[in-house]
Amino acid sequence: MKRKFLPLLLLGFAGAAHAQLPAATVIAIPPLTSPDSGDKGNQMLAVGWQVTQAIESDLRQTTEVMPLKPNRDDYYSYPEVTAPGFAKWRSAGAKALVTGFVQGRPDGRLTIGCYVYDVDKGRELARKGFIIGANDWRRAAHKCSGVAYTAITGAPGTFDTRIAYVAQSGTGEGRMRRIAVMDSDGMNHRYLTAGDAIVLSPRFAPKGTQLAYVSFSGGRPSVRVIDPTSGQERPLMPLDAISFAPRYSPDGSKIAVSMMLGANSDIYVAAAAGGPPQRLTTSPGVDTDPSFSPDGSRIVFESDRGGTQQLYVMNADGTGQRRISFGGGWYAAPAWSPDGQWIAFTRRGQDGRRIGIMKTDGTGEKLLTSGPGDEGPSWAASGREILFQRTGGGGRTGLYRVGLDGGEPRQVATPQDGSDPDWSGVMD
Amino acid sequence: MRKTAIMLALLLGASAAQAQLPGLRRRGPAQPTQPVLQGIDALRTDFAAQAGGTMVYYGAGSVILGAPAKAALGLQAAWLRRHPEVVVRIEGYGDSLETRDHALAVGAARAEEARNYLLLLGVPAAQVSTTSWGKERSGLGRAVTVLVR
Repeated sequence: MKRKFLPLLLLGFAGAAHAQLPAATVIAIPPLTSPDSGDKGNQMLAVGWQVTQAIESDLRQTTEVMPLKPNRDDYYSYPEVTAPGFAKWRSAGAKALVTGFVQGRPDGRLTIGCYVYDVDKGRELARKGFIIGANDWRRAAHKCSGVAYTAITGAPGTFDTRIAYVAQSGTGEGRMRRIAVMDSDGMNHRYLTAGDAIVLSPRFAPKGTQLAYVSFSGGRPSVRVIDPTSGQERPLMPLDAISFAPRYSPDGSKIAVSMMLGANSDIYVAAAAGGPPQRLTTSPGVDTDPSFSPDGSRIVFESDRGGTQQLYVMNADGTGQRRISFGGGWYAAPAWSPDGQWIAFTRRGQDGRRIGIMKTDGTGEKLLTSGPGDEGPSWAASGREILFQRTGGGGRTGLYRVGLDGGEPRQVATPQDGSDPDWSGVMD
Repeated sequence: MRKTAIMLALLLGASAAQAQLPGLRRRGPAQPTQPVLQGIDALRTDFAAQAGGTMVYYGAGSVILGAPAKAALGLQAAWLRRHPEVVVRIEGYGDSLETRDHALAVGAARAEEARNYLLLLGVPAAQVSTTSWGKERSGLGRAVTVLVR
């Protein structure tokens, strides 16, 4: 029911929007108010202004929502949070409106409330309240942005998510590589590994509570698991085998990997808590890059069993393996979308490596980037954008994001060259 | 119990080897004298010189050993059989155009194929390990035999 309703709502907005901007819904974000008075009230209004600006910055990153620039003169009173005037925003061309408040609590924490309205209909679309620590206002802003984005598009927002990637400094063989994580807006950037070994392929557990990655610390590449908060880490499997390409199951209980047995790379699944792996594929040649469907029932992976790299889908127990990619070129590094509808991939062809998507039965293929050095797609929680690695001239790499509409990819700022990105789901 | 049996087997093996030594000594004067190699660097230099290099090359995307690769591995195997105390690691590389994980798998398979060929030529399994650099370091399209100790 919800699924049906929200796209209709989106159509409603799109239909009402001005013809020259069919894709983006204009949203007004006047500064958050406060029920508090005196000095405390002023403090809360200052926090509210920061939250307002963070919401604007969040929504400006999207292709579907276009925020009007917040103006401190658009102050409103606390009762107007739930009974806003719409005429002003209608004449400003806004189709949606965010109001909210920041209230100080006796324990020093803050209550932040957000409300989203359909300006044309004068109707509330969504609301959400949070109690947070005084320094966590940015997190609350991300949550508000998510409420607004979801009310307008029907898709989960990507504002309260994190990006893990491999940060590279230096050049040549002396290049240092570290696993880094940051909020999706680039804040709270930090390194999880020391840089004393080559590291690859950071992959978040569903809620970001763990992170699997590949380390060469033992001389051969093998999958390790790290707790991003404590920094504690351990090998995934008690084996001296080459293993790589880890990805969590949607419930976080398992990790699919590829592992070498002799000259043969196959797909295995192991408990995230550790223990012996179960083998899922047995074909000679390279089977790698497994990715679970969002319901956990199936796995898409790449295999060269037919002579060239192609995409295959199997049940999560390894049965029912069948090829789904039949276009020209080689297909690699598949990633199943969070809404279950699409599989993103890297396609290798005469024109280099490009990022594309296809439906889960292999139809509807669409290339999103022009290459020639693109690889490693990872989905946004919204299912509407893909993060990937682009290698430019001179071998330098950067992180880019591209919408499913295939617009020009935008670079994601990182302190050093970045590669091998992974975009988390929405944090709890 | 089992430990004792293994120890016994080792002792027997050792005494059997010693028993052959007089026979070898008899041919002493005719035996060409091997230079005494000390240190890993000297061993590496000798290995590279005697084996005609440390690398074997593969066709793009291929893990199959061609005739030149087999010839190179034959020289490596001969040297390794003369130096059973030396341990080597074969490091396989993928190709730069490949995607990351495919390159890792191809590098590992190339190293493993080279190792299998050395074992086929009589090099003890314990003397050779493998790893893969995928496309994470320069040196694409080949497998390199590195003397570890």
